Amino acid sequence: MTLDFFRFELREQLRSPLLWLFAALFALLAFGAASSDAVQIGGGSGNVHSNAPTVVASMLGIFTLLGMLVSTLFVSNALLRDFELGTAELIFASPIKRRHYLAGRIGAALVSGLLVYVLIAVGILVAQFMPWVDAERLGPINWAGYAWTFAVVVIPNLLFTTALLSLLAVTTRSILWVYIGVVGYFVLYGVSAALLRDIDNTWIAVLTEPLGMRALSRTIRYWSTEERNSGIPELAGYLLANRVLWLTVAAALFAATFALFRTERSGSGRRRWGRGQAAASADPAPLRPATTALPRVTPVFSTGTAWRQFLRQVRFDTRGVLRSVPFIVLLVLGLANFLPSALFRQTLYGTSIWPVTSQMIMALQGAFSWLLIIIVLFFAGELVWKERGARINEVNDAMPVPNWVPLLAKFVALLAVIACFQAAGALAAMAVQLVKGYTHLEPLLYLRSLALDSVVYVLMGGLALVLQVLTNNKFFGYALLIVVMIGQGVLGMLDYTQNIYNFGSWPIAPYSDMNGYGHFLTGQLAFQGYWALFLLALMCLASAFWVRGVSQGLRQRLALAGRRLRGPTGAMAALAAVAFIAVGGWLYWSTNIRNDFLSPDQQLDLQARYERELSKYRNLPQPRIIAVDNRVDLHPETQSMVIDANWTIRNTHAAPIQEVHVATADDKQLVAVDLGGQTLSMHDADLGYRIYRLATPLQPGEERRIHFRVVQQPHGITADQAPSNIVDNGSFFNSRVLPSFGYNEGVEISDRNERRKRDLGEPRRMPKLEDEAARANNYVTNDADWLDFRSTICTAPDQVALAPGYLQHETTVNGRRCFSYAMDRPMLNFYAYLSARWEVRRARYKDIPIEVYFDPAHGYNVDRMIDAVQKSLAYYEANFTPYQHRQVRIIEFPGYQRFAQSFANTIPYSESIGFIADLRDPDKVDYVFYVTAHEVAHQWWAHQVIGANVQGATVLSESLSQYSALMVMEQEYGRQHMRQFLKRELDGYLSGRGGEAIEELPLERVENQQYIHYQKGSLVFYRLREEIGEEALNRALKRFLQDKGYQQPPYTTSRELLSYLRAETPADRQQLVTDLFEKMTFYDNRVLAASARKRADGRYDVTLDLHASKQYADGRGKETAGTMDDWVEIGVFANGPSGKEHDQKVLYLQRHHITTGEPKITVTVDARPDEAGFDPYNKLIDRVSEDNRRKVTM
Amino acid sequence: MLKIDSLSKTYANGVHALNGVTLDIPRGMFGLLGPNGAGKSSLMRTLATLQEADSGSATLSIPGESPIDVLRDKDAVRRRLGYLPQDFGVYPKVSALDLLEHFAVLKGLTQRGQRREVVDGLLQQVNLWDARKRKLGTYSGGMRQRFGIAQALLGDPRLVIVDEPTAGLDPEERNRFLNLLAAIGENVAVILSTHIVEDVTDLCPTMAIMNKGQVLLTGRPTDAIEALQQQVWRKQVDPSELADHEARYTVLSSRLVGGRPVIHVHSASDPGDGFAPVAPDLEDVYFQRLRLQARARAA
Repeated sequence: MTLDFFRFELREQLRSPLLWLFAALFALLAFGAASSDAVQIGGGSGNVHSNAPTVVASMLGIFTLLGMLVSTLFVSNALLRDFELGTAELIFASPIKRRHYLAGRIGAALVSGLLVYVLIAVGILVAQFMPWVDAERLGPINWAGYAWTFAVVVIPNLLFTTALLSLLAVTTRSILWVYIGVVGYFVLYGVSAALLRDIDNTWIAVLTEPLGMRALSRTIRYWSTEERNSGIPELAGYLLANRVLWLTVAAALFAATFALFRTERSGSGRRRWGRGQAAASADPAPLRPATTALPRVTPVFSTGTAWRQFLRQVRFDTRGVLRSVPFIVLLVLGLANFLPSALFRQTLYGTSIWPVTSQMIMALQGAFSWLLIIIVLFFAGELVWKERGARINEVNDAMPVPNWVPLLAKFVALLAVIACFQAAGALAAMAVQLVKGYTHLEPLLYLRSLALDSVVYVLMGGLALVLQVLTNNKFFGYALLIVVMIGQGVLGMLDYTQNIYNFGSWPIAPYSDMNGYGHFLTGQLAFQGYWALFLLALMCLASAFWVRGVSQGLRQRLALAGRRLRGPTGAMAALAAVAFIAVGGWLYWSTNIRNDFLSPDQQLDLQARYERELSKYRNLPQPRIIAVDNRVDLHPETQSMVIDANWTIRNTHAAPIQEVHVATADDKQLVAVDLGGQTLSMHDADLGYRIYRLATPLQPGEERRIHFRVVQQPHGITADQAPSNIVDNGSFFNSRVLPSFGYNEGVEISDRNERRKRDLGEPRRMPKLEDEAARANNYVTNDADWLDFRSTICTAPDQVALAPGYLQHETTVNGRRCFSYAMDRPMLNFYAYLSARWEVRRARYKDIPIEVYFDPAHGYNVDRMIDAVQKSLAYYEANFTPYQHRQVRIIEFPGYQRFAQSFANTIPYSESIGFIADLRDPDKVDYVFYVTAHEVAHQWWAHQVIGANVQGATVLSESLSQYSALMVMEQEYGRQHMRQFLKRELDGYLSGRGGEAIEELPLERVENQQYIHYQKGSLVFYRLREEIGEEALNRALKRFLQDKGYQQPPYTTSRELLSYLRAETPADRQQLVTDLFEKMTFYDNRVLAASARKRADGRYDVTLDLHASKQYADGRGKETAGTMDDWVEIGVFANGPSGKEHDQKVLYLQRHHITTGEPKITVTVDARPDEAGFDPYNKLIDRVSEDNRRKVTM
Repeated sequence: MLKIDSLSKTYANGVHALNGVTLDIPRGMFGLLGPNGAGKSSLMRTLATLQEADSGSATLSIPGESPIDVLRDKDAVRRRLGYLPQDFGVYPKVSALDLLEHFAVLKGLTQRGQRREVVDGLLQQVNLWDARKRKLGTYSGGMRQRFGIAQALLGDPRLVIVDEPTAGLDPEERNRFLNLLAAIGENVAVILSTHIVEDVTDLCPTMAIMNKGQVLLTGRPTDAIEALQQQVWRKQVDPSELADHEARYTVLSSRLVGGRPVIHVHSASDPGDGFAPVAPDLEDVYFQRLRLQARARAA
């Protein structure tokens, strides 16, 4: 019996064109994702092969999530078709068993689902044979990987999703509710993702995710490239637990489905609009003829009547949507998604931020408002079909209402729905603000931002209405909408990225608390207006095609529309169309003719041409800047400036310089050049490259004063976001706006695939550590060594302008406020200018003034920053060398970028990273303190010692700043807090290396790889400090600073640093330095067993069975065994009052010399032990940190 | 009051829904009788401005106003029209009061006070006052039809079109509904389309019979019945004889009485053969006209 149902159902499913359509669509998507970079689904990154088993597994896993939308169709079809078609009573009146019916139907749905995934897998499989796929990014076909993926990921997920959907279908008997359930599931999926951000909750996050994707990604999180390319995850740990759990849940859901499945008619009432078959209760009206006279009120029709009718229709439709189940469900889901993301919003290190309005709005955008796209698209269809769906259209259409009313009313109803949804979000956001103790509510800012954000939903909703009307078929309308959305993506892939041809796209105006929307808004509004006109024209057209009465074929619709267009509707359509074209033309002129526009591919082609034509000048000797005196005339009001750069250059080479190569980012901005007599011998404006032939060559050792004039000025609306370096409040730009000398390697394309497409060969890497010639330049600039710096900067009269150096005098010239700065000692060719309306807080460390320039609304952590500066200066002066400047300034700039950066005595700090951190919870990482300490450390590490432009240069700046900041932090917060911080660093390093694009290198050879010089740098120096001692390490660093500070070329290297470190390292730890800096070393340390025995004297002997091993990895993660010869901490702990780690009592903590793989160690402790650990604080780089501790058995 | 002249409509699939329909519809109830697919609904929809006609004309003349060209001046028609379509639905989650208010505004009753008065009055008149706050989804078929007539009467219409309102109603509901229709004022033209002969017999002083897009008969029911006097004969036959009788006579109708068919035949003279004369009713007229048309077509 089951088999009969199964066969019948399978045949039905296989006959359904939708199955094949979705299967083809998904297979195509999978094919696209696996064969090109244009479609991104899961996919590998960097060196991981695009057909590696882990990549295939995660790609197919993501499809099992997307596939739920399709499974819904299969399952609800299989289980609800009989109820939908009304054949249920026929079937269930026959002598069949419910379980046979269900098992057969569900089985068929499962098999059809599986078929779709097989086709998807085929799509992925064949992708690698495509001629355009780069063979270098492929490994051998791994059949076992496919089998594993189906067994562990696809089939269990299919079982679970089918079980869930079956239960929903059986209990609700409504496709709509099944879909709502699916949407709910998606949102919950997103919510639980928030849990994973806190890595302490790994188990919860991994187990709560039914599809096992998180379990998979956690399992391979620390895998190296090599492992990712060939390894198949073992079915254990996270994965096993997750799979077992969710298969059990699936079984339970299936059981519930069978138990709750009812064949009775009751409850099969499909309560959808217009089919109200709900039980009719007794009619209370008595049987008597009506005798009362009809009130005779003849309506009077005036112009006002139509408007009142319109408003009534709007109200009626809006209320209908707001009270409908899907809307309420989506609203609740949106809030459920938004609230946790707003409550636990954090930027760095798991520390929360103050819920300032701009952050709440960002949270709304990311977690709430996007649901509107589903709402507008869905309800556009519902509204257009509302009357017809309820079969009340003939009544409505015969009403004396003008033709324009219905469509316009439905559009305005959509607007009202959007407004209500956003208002609910804003209220929730304000509630969050109040709950978190933030009382500076800004309803107007919500209004403005959410209104701006809503435009896209209005446009999409309007388009959906138009398509529904024009196609006059609900599902065709939806399908066309999907085609439009796919089309937008395809345009992007084909390099048609301009907003002018992408419906509903515009340069998005970023919001900053300091600068508001600033001048960015103009471009956004112009494009929004442009697309609004487009929609207006379409709406007029749709209004002409609006079906009133009985629709009778295309020809008649066309004829009728033609007639309707011969009125004001047509005139308005024509007007809107003309205005759309005119605004479009004007925007094209502004974005493509007045301003330059380059598509991403054109930009890359230009970079390729730069490299091809100009790289021959790469090592050409060029003059060096030895003194800078810039006069900056800044006009924040108009986002423009003029810089007169007066520089002194010197020929530091042995031969005369005949030609000076001047490179600019934007050639048009360089309006005047004076090199003391020169002729332009080559000028490529597109590449921003000029060669000037000097009238009198610059002789070796000769110095000369030169002048450049750079003018930056906006020319109307740009295609992309307007430049953010000069803004009304919060201008911030650095020396890169000025010309540089010679070929700039930084322009070259670094992406391997883009290079291969353009036959450029392997990307240029940093010069090798051994490259002596490269030591002629430091890694910051090759235009100068140390230079004398002074600048005058004039700005708006209500602003303060800042530059490195000390304020010499402030004057007012022509109503502009001018500040002159001069530095009293040579500094790097690396400086920035800032101008804004700030509040200033001043403090001192000894005789050094400290100033923080901040937005008046962002005063939360200013004192913390000052404290950090004071403590940092104290530690660094005590342990390293004296601070070279007489002042420290921290300056807030708008959050268009998210970093803090250290210039000489000047530290610009983004508003989005430290100023709004909420440091009230003492258990969280105080990253404001940490980042400040790091940036202050750069005054030593970069501004005193700067590395040569060779591998390892960033060890000298970034890793040492990390170490310095760690030490200041540890002094402030104690060792216990360091573990929390270092755990994040370990996680960052281990997961960062899996995404390596070229090759991982040992620390001493790091090539500006952030996960190495920051994260691994912290771990390496902290461990070194632990083993050789803080004093010895600081002694080495101090000596290094003293010897190499302010050094002229050849610049120092990490290799030289290492020799200073080795000099302070005892002989038995020399191997440690090698392991830490010269190799990539990984430990696998575990406590296999820990047992204790009470001794006669009341103390305890604790015996630990340990596993210890050390591996050396190569650049791709291939590992070879090393010999254990390390000093590793052994710890024994007693239980604290809370049972948590932070109040554990340390009974024993000693470093032991481990030289064997399976050491057995016994220690004696005074109290009853609870837990024992081998490297219990995870100071060694070990990919599995949990097994370093184990409960002690008695 | 409503003059329809040579109205024709052919659908894209070739069906002649209306074939030169000419009717003169006076004030009061006008019954439009015809089997399913006769073109009644097409005619109703065309008059209700929901459908275009291919040719012909229709003019609505209201005393004291200039005549309205129904096919062109749709807005003017809609302002004078009350329409209850065949098989119409409702929004199940909206109360009768709310939906009627809504329709009242769409009918042009934009002044709140007036509208209230009209809506309340109508709800009382159709006996839904006590149930006005209930969701329409909980209404029975008859209540829903009464709600339908209430909305059709909003805004003082001069032309009321009611398309098959009694289909699917039980006898009690049907009576209640017809009483309501009968109470509609005398200045109004009410077109009642139906395939149930009794509806017309009970209510309509004038009527038309339609089939296959054509008007077969128009006039007063009594006149039509009178014209058939002495031409309808009745006989109870054995089921085995039925086919034979159908071949030999113009059988108007056949219904079972006590399990044996009783047939009515049309014949200008006494057919003998056991037939007895019977007083004709509207149903006989109706079937006679249909048979006549069928024979004309066959010929």
